[in-house]
Amino acid sequence: MHTVTDDLGRKVTLPKQPRRVLALAPSMTEMLFAVADTASIVGRTQNCDYPAAALTKPVVNNYPMDYERLLSLKPDVVFATDGIISLEVAAQVQKLGIPIYFQAYDSVTDILRGIRTLGQLLQREEKANAVADSLQRIINQLATDTARAARPTVLAITWKDPIYVYGRNTLFTDKLRYAGGKNALTEIFAQPYPALTREYILKMDPEVIIGGSFEQMEKTFFSLYPELRRIKAYKQKRIYEVTDDLMSRPSPRVVEGIAELKAVLR
Amino acid sequence: MRKAFLLVVCLLLLSALGFFLGLKVGSISTSYTTIMEALFSYDSTDPTHFSIINLRLPRLLLAFLTGASLAFSGYLMQALVNNALADPYLLGTASGASLGASLSFFLFADLTFMGLYLPPFFALAGSFAVTLVVVVLGSRRGQLIPSQMLLVGVALSSLLTALVSLLMFLSDSESQLKSVVFWSMGGFEKADWSTLGYPAVTLTLGLILFFFLQRHLSVLLLGAERAETLGVDVRLIRWVMLVSVSVVTGFAVAFSGPVGFVGLMVPHFTRALLGTTNRLNLIACALAGGLFLVVCDLISRWIYPPAGMPVGIVTSFFGVPFFVYLLRRKNYRFS
Repeated sequence: MHTVTDDLGRKVTLPKQPRRVLALAPSMTEMLFAVADTASIVGRTQNCDYPAAALTKPVVNNYPMDYERLLSLKPDVVFATDGIISLEVAAQVQKLGIPIYFQAYDSVTDILRGIRTLGQLLQREEKANAVADSLQRIINQLATDTARAARPTVLAITWKDPIYVYGRNTLFTDKLRYAGGKNALTEIFAQPYPALTREYILKMDPEVIIGGSFEQMEKTFFSLYPELRRIKAYKQKRIYEVTDDLMSRPSPRVVEGIAELKAVLR
Repeated sequence: MRKAFLLVVCLLLLSALGFFLGLKVGSISTSYTTIMEALFSYDSTDPTHFSIINLRLPRLLLAFLTGASLAFSGYLMQALVNNALADPYLLGTASGASLGASLSFFLFADLTFMGLYLPPFFALAGSFAVTLVVVVLGSRRGQLIPSQMLLVGVALSSLLTALVSLLMFLSDSESQLKSVVFWSMGGFEKADWSTLGYPAVTLTLGLILFFFLQRHLSVLLLGAERAETLGVDVRLIRWVMLVSVSVVTGFAVAFSGPVGFVGLMVPHFTRALLGTTNRLNLIACALAGGLFLVVCDLISRWIYPPAGMPVGIVTSFFGVPFFVYLLRRKNYRFS
């Protein structure tokens, strides 16, 4: 056993070489499949659907948390991400005698660091470092030709009513940087995904909108807020759909997310 | 009467001031000159003009109409069931509307059907359906029994609130949850010119009708029996009141979500100032309700830009202390 400090600053005591692990968030499950020995992964949550191999693992409901099911899978350590699992749930899991380790990511670099950390915790450093290095190479390649290009302002909408968007203090802003754009929001709000008024969006006048295809957004968003047809993104029809999971999951597939963003921004 | 007239004039002036201030507050900073220009020489290509006329003005009007409608309905409800704690939501209107709106949020990913934004219509349907059930269960042989209606309304509200909670519990989308929670706290962000007509017409008709029936309301506050002996057709007027309350509240709630406090407190506020029998009571009450929500919306946008804090939170925070102060100072009694 050894004690380590997780990304939330919590002290976690876990076996030096965990043999049974599982993650309580879809992104974290993707991380585990990239680093851990697949046989050691003993479960997944109802939302973990990537990679395909994950679907063969037993399901533990994480909302509401099914503690009994979790206990029955006898994990040596459980991995969680900030924002998906609450500290209250974490305390309960600890009480059951299962150590729970949190990761948190504010930037693309944080994800790569997270992968390396997982490698250390699972005694699979070589594998983890190889994954992180190769991801880093792809990111560097993606970013080379966007460095000097004009960066369009991008607003990514997560919900239509009320209008919720990806705030400045999210991973999205960092991903955009690599992809050659910039977040249309200049202010930082307390919430990572703030609700915005129509007037605020008019004022920002974003050049690109992400949230659905032009036809979809025309039907579900701009028909609801016809005033917003005045923004540049609408007039120039620069409204795009990107893969939801790639947008929202901080996982090794973050590079695919950046590539997709780059493709629509070009 | 003179005092009442003065109060009405004051409320109108303050409302105008509130509107003027309200037109200034927003994400795009605006000077008073720009407001005047937008109002009198509107240029649709100017984003500031556009925001003032098409976003801020409808928002203020919706806030005013909602406040006036809720205060109006609260006034009628208190007279209808002869209870100082009655408000327009007592008949299950709010919980019916909440269930309707929640259903639309959970059932339709698009929230629009043939270009129509669904939640208000579902809310309206919900509030009417519930009011109807309360009326049926709360009356005997075509005669409304206020105490029974009250109990049925309260009981049904609990059930409907539980159903909304169930929907929220079963939902696996955090965003849907946010929509429902946001809607249930009330707000005017989605105001636009095309929808303002409904609450405006229903409220105006209601106000005109009860301006002429004001004497009946005052008499009804003395109790049904006394009213009968004074020649009021209690049964008829109760039905008229009930229909008016459900229509006016239904439309107000449909577009802005249930905003608490206004319908309960504002009628007491005007009665505390004017007494219970004044002919201009209802008009003053509606104006005060409208002004109150305009001010609350302004406060919400000031303290929490850009989206504004849900107005239901502001109404309670700022309204309740003032209300308590007024009650203590005036030593006012209901009916």
